[in-house]
Amino acid sequence: MKKILLIICIAVLAQQLSAQVERGNMLIKGGTVLTVTKGTLEGTDVLVTNGKIAQVGKNLTAPAGYKVIDAQGMFVMPGIIDAHSHAGLDAINEGTSPVTAEVNTGDALNPFQVNLYRALGGGVTTIHAMHGSANAIGGQCETIKLRFGVKDPELLRMEGAPRTIKFALGENPTRVHGGGGIVPRTRMGVEFVIRQAFSQAKEYMAAWDTYNKQKIQKGFRGAPPAYNMRLETLADVLRGNIIVHCHSYRADELQMMLKVCKDFGVKRIVFQHVNEGFKVAPELAAYGAMASVFSDWWAYKLEVYYSTAYNAAILTKNGVTTSINSDDAELMRHLYHEAAKTQKYGDLNDDEALSLITINPARQLGIEDRVGSIETGKEADIAIFSKHPLSIYAIPMITVVDGIVRFDRSKDPDDMRIFVDPRQSVETTTLRETRNAHEQCMEGADYMFVKMFGLNLNEQ
Amino acid sequence: MIRTIKYIAGLLLLLVCVMDLGAQSPKGKYGTFALTNASIETVTKGVISNGTVIIRNGKIEAVGTNIQVPQGAEVIDCKGSWIYPGMIDSGTRLGLFEFGQAPQATDVSELGDVVPQMKALTAINPNSAAIPINRISGVTTTLTLPEGDLFSGTAALVSLHGYTPDQMFEGFEAVLLNFPRTGRRGPFDRRSDEDIKKATEKSLLRISEVWERAVQYHRIDSATKGKGTYYPEMQAMLPVVRGEMALIIDVNAARDIQTALKWIKEKKIKKVILSGVAEGWRVADEIAKANIPVLAGPVLELPTRDYDRYDKAYANPGLLRKAGVKVAIKTDDGHLNYRNLPYHAGFAAAYGMGREEALKAITIVPAEIFGVADKLGSIEQGKSATLFVCNGDPFEPKTQVSQVFIDGWQMPMVSRQTLLYDEFLQRDPGVAKEK
Amino acid sequence: MKRFYRSRICLKFMVMLALGWPALLQAQQFQQQPQEEKELSPVSRTYAITNATVFQGPGRKLDRATVVMKDGLITAVGKGVAIPPEAIIIKGDSLYIYAGFIDGLSRAGVSKPKEEANRERPKDPGNPTPELAGITPQNDVRTFLNPSDKSADDLRALGFTAAQVVPYGNMLPGSGAIIQLTGKTSDAMVLAGKSALFSELTGAPRVYPSTILAVMSKWRELYRQAVQNKNYETMYAANRAGLSRPASDRILEAFYPVIDKRIPVLFEADKYLETQRVMTLQSELGFSLVLGDVKEGWDAIARIKSSGAKVFLSLDLPEDKKEEKSKDKKEEAGTLTPAEKEALEKRKAEFLALYTGQAATFQKAGVTFGFSSLSAKTSDIRTNLRRMIKAGLTEDQALAALTTSPAQLLGLSDRLGTVDNGKIASLVLSDKPYFHEKARVRYVFVDGIMYKYDVKETPKADAGAKAEITGTWSVTTETPQGKSEETVTFKKDGSNYSGSITGGRLAQAVSLEKVELNGNALRYSYTVQVGGQSFKVDVDATVDGSSYKGSATVGQYGSFPVEGKKDPNR
Repeated sequence: MKKILLIICIAVLAQQLSAQVERGNMLIKGGTVLTVTKGTLEGTDVLVTNGKIAQVGKNLTAPAGYKVIDAQGMFVMPGIIDAHSHAGLDAINEGTSPVTAEVNTGDALNPFQVNLYRALGGGVTTIHAMHGSANAIGGQCETIKLRFGVKDPELLRMEGAPRTIKFALGENPTRVHGGGGIVPRTRMGVEFVIRQAFSQAKEYMAAWDTYNKQKIQKGFRGAPPAYNMRLETLADVLRGNIIVHCHSYRADELQMMLKVCKDFGVKRIVFQHVNEGFKVAPELAAYGAMASVFSDWWAYKLEVYYSTAYNAAILTKNGVTTSINSDDAELMRHLYHEAAKTQKYGDLNDDEALSLITINPARQLGIEDRVGSIETGKEADIAIFSKHPLSIYAIPMITVVDGIVRFDRSKDPDDMRIFVDPRQSVETTTLRETRNAHEQCMEGADYMFVKMFGLNLNEQ
Repeated sequence: MIRTIKYIAGLLLLLVCVMDLGAQSPKGKYGTFALTNASIETVTKGVISNGTVIIRNGKIEAVGTNIQVPQGAEVIDCKGSWIYPGMIDSGTRLGLFEFGQAPQATDVSELGDVVPQMKALTAINPNSAAIPINRISGVTTTLTLPEGDLFSGTAALVSLHGYTPDQMFEGFEAVLLNFPRTGRRGPFDRRSDEDIKKATEKSLLRISEVWERAVQYHRIDSATKGKGTYYPEMQAMLPVVRGEMALIIDVNAARDIQTALKWIKEKKIKKVILSGVAEGWRVADEIAKANIPVLAGPVLELPTRDYDRYDKAYANPGLLRKAGVKVAIKTDDGHLNYRNLPYHAGFAAAYGMGREEALKAITIVPAEIFGVADKLGSIEQGKSATLFVCNGDPFEPKTQVSQVFIDGWQMPMVSRQTLLYDEFLQRDPGVAKEK
Repeated sequence: MKRFYRSRICLKFMVMLALGWPALLQAQQFQQQPQEEKELSPVSRTYAITNATVFQGPGRKLDRATVVMKDGLITAVGKGVAIPPEAIIIKGDSLYIYAGFIDGLSRAGVSKPKEEANRERPKDPGNPTPELAGITPQNDVRTFLNPSDKSADDLRALGFTAAQVVPYGNMLPGSGAIIQLTGKTSDAMVLAGKSALFSELTGAPRVYPSTILAVMSKWRELYRQAVQNKNYETMYAANRAGLSRPASDRILEAFYPVIDKRIPVLFEADKYLETQRVMTLQSELGFSLVLGDVKEGWDAIARIKSSGAKVFLSLDLPEDKKEEKSKDKKEEAGTLTPAEKEALEKRKAEFLALYTGQAATFQKAGVTFGFSSLSAKTSDIRTNLRRMIKAGLTEDQALAALTTSPAQLLGLSDRLGTVDNGKIASLVLSDKPYFHEKARVRYVFVDGIMYKYDVKETPKADAGAKAEITGTWSVTTETPQGKSEETVTFKKDGSNYSGSITGGRLAQAVSLEKVELNGNALRYSYTVQVGGQSFKVDVDATVDGSSYKGSATVGQYGSFPVEGKKDPNR
């Protein structure tokens, strides 16, 4: 076991050595700075040194060699964070088993996806690249920064961000697995699968604890418990080392999951989508559970039929740390607009609305000390808008990650691909069937439905 | 066994939603209304400040300043508010689709690749929960389209108020043709270019054959004075062949648009509307030259090619307009969020179309395209009183809509979503319940 | 039916059907194998090639020298060496001699295992059998070697004499071996068994691990479990008393030589991201790594160097399609502005240049590499080598990558890679310097066994010549099972050609997908549907007046000589 740990340590170290993240110096001058956490500062400069915000104030001067961006008349806000995305991944669902805690989307990073650049064009700087929702316990997820332009997938990782894992309740896991004759077929089964997995992980932890204690006794001889990555991961969830991000919709399953978490001592849980979160907002707030929601998506299946676009507002006003996410490569590009809808549906004020896409998702990913607001010492992930970002007429102009300009509306060429397949015809058009939208969550698990009703429901 | 269970579950599910639909919303109110002290965006005749709109007998009886409020009229003081014509979404599945992933809850697509006789108006559910949810945002009118392969049915323009399809019907129908497409359906579509080309060519032959048959049928029908054989598909095509009904052609890839334009010319089709036109900007001049209007959208969409500029979908309506194309904007939203129509227009406005043109694209322009501009699309005397009142620019998300009128009916400003807000903002009991 | 499709016989069957020879097929199925001429034994196992230009190794050239081979070994190289009286003499006056080429990763001579009969979705896709999961590292490619497999013949005809071969499969198909492309039995082919543990980052269809996500984590888990088991076995072996017996696990045991670094892990890592992912596994687990069939490695060179991985670059290159494009310009130009199209084509060309220049880039970076034929079409390999040379690789460097470098990377330098006294008698003889466009391989010696290639004089392709093909042609295709006759009709429409093909045994006429005539170089292709699967046939021929000669290629299944004669009556 020690040896294994050592291997892991060396590996992590080696990775950090191999990856050199580029960080920049710049002065963003004279914009209206929406700090989100410290109010709105007009005609204010933001000084960035080595990828970090060094100073926020008036009339700052740029040291030699600093890039200067004139933001007069523009709005400077923290880079937008999407707590639920599947962009930048080559695979989303390992939909073959109800529990796949051992897999990790960090293994499927694809820095070449143009969608990452397009997201920068919407002011997004950090995304939670998640496993899909085919399984009750899906895989671990990777928090990545949109350093579009890098080719080494390692450089996309937000180094040092806490580990997270995807869980999923309700229709998706029950359809994928129950449809094929594997538990869970019902919400009862989902609870059972999670409790069973947690219980096995507890036993596994105990076995290793016993072994490790015995091992240091002199003359000990014996077999270690069989190494199991799935249980290793779940044990880390129980130890509190991994934040659970739980795909969920209905109020009843939220209650169920809260109970399971309580029983197993899991404290850090963020409910994803959570369309009926508003119904149990007091319970979520009491537990300290967080919620990451769509602004207005509903009706794409039964479990989201009884939704309301006021969800984010109700949750926020009940004290639940709430974010608005995309789960979609297009929606991701205008999260600022999605956040603005909470002013229509629930009268949130500007800071509350902006928090939904900045500091709150940062809290949900455990990176609130590093990003999510414009404050001295934080990483210089910044989006500059032509108008107030909550206005429909706002256009993201420049997006900065670690002090490096990764999107510049006025300077970037049209064709931003960093990989071109010489085999592909230049006339290839891809049209999404948007009106048949379903969560991107289920990508790669679609084939599982063939057995249901004898037809592929996604072709409806 | 499993299948039986699933079906039973499905039936139960259907029951549940039918029951729910039964308990919908309070009634609308018909009468004489005076909306006073408002800024009025007429769309066609500029902005009237501090104006009044009189609604009587379902129509706009008067609009302007210095208007006498009729006796007995209910006066609604709109000080600080704006009046806009009701917004028209030119591409929806409203009423045919209750919720997804359940065949029992959707009536969107009938079997068969040539089924123009399938009429959306037949299956539009006036009690859909989506109707009030969208209506209270000022979307008063939608074009509802049956989807499918090639000739997938007949679309209908409906208002978002009424207890029967006939009450909802706004007098425009059109046959929909999903034009054979060379575009890929998504990243999962891994057919070879060759296969796609072949499939498209085959479909092109098929639609040409349908059209030629329809022309023959028309000739025989005219000659026999309507005593031809029973042939429902061709019967449905007759008004299109005769130019009495429009053919809406859904087409997106630039090359397909070109093919469609050629096809339209070749077949001498009289009334045509293009729909979708995601790559319309690439061939905007050709569309303009053909003088064919378009229903463009969704605007909030990704570019169709990975090398296209990131904002091309947002800019598309503006680029088409600039080339001289008549452009209406549609949402074609997959989540029944037609309430986002002003935001699609807003993005188009911000990315080059300009606010004025974008507003027209969801009001007067679709009304003109659908031949209902005498009733809808602007605030003018004599038109249907289909309008809404709001406290600012309706494109701005923070703007609240306070009143919606459809054909003179004052709509209740509630939907299931607002009711849930009212109930759950401060839930009682909270965490602890007193027993 | 599915199982049938997958089997080797089935592939041949399909190819034949695709080409329209069902009757021949039946003949093969229901009668005995066609009469084969019994191969005559050579009168001696000693050969002397005299007066030839000998490239002993990269940069080591001898003019008018003699090479003597005896009993499978090179016994003398040089000017004026004595020719043993028992030697069969080959006059090498116009021949160029090289050491036999070595393929770093290939499946030449390996048969595809038969698929399980029941490929229905298993009851529990999360817990499939190791076979379904593609986890069979205990398998050995030697089990699947087939000395009469055509793929070995095809590769040999290009001058390859040795190859590292691996089994078919998904994530962990088994261990590879180094074979010589000769031998009457599978064992006779083998030069070295268990040369590497072979792996692909390929998921299993519809069962765990089905995606890259699970393949990566399963890899880690298996490796760590193997380390754990191995340690325990060591402890157990030292003193068994009081310890429970370690369970036997062939899958984990297959990792032991990897853990001990006695053999490396050989990954198929063609895509750039796969190269990166494989190196991530290596950096975490610490095994010795060989990257095979690398196609997009140019951005990973720094990491490859620091990882210490050995590299075999792919001999497959993306097609250079420019000619095709210019043909239907009018149709294509449609929706792109000329400036946009030019810009896009330019970017494509830039990336194409990265592919063709990959070998030169690696060379400049100082990485020793060999080549891999794994995913390359045999008929493209020589063209692709020339394209790499055109992109900056010198001929000597190309030769090194075919001979000395792979010999070194595979630990064979003492036996293979150069034309030196004492080495295994594996040589390739061409009638012009090998990388010359018109060079033809005349002899290949593998382990002292001679393979002679008769050269049919094919009329030269000449872009200046104006051939005319419109009309009806009788076409004969020669397959291993005999001749097949078809009728091909070409039509001209403006400057474009179209056409159709029909055969006595083809149910109906099939239209040709593309017909191109460039000077007297004729190309056409067509697709044949067999049992729901389509097979594309590419014909490449040279027209000479009223006849043409060339070859028909059916995907990866091989190519066959084709001859066409114009029917004067029609």
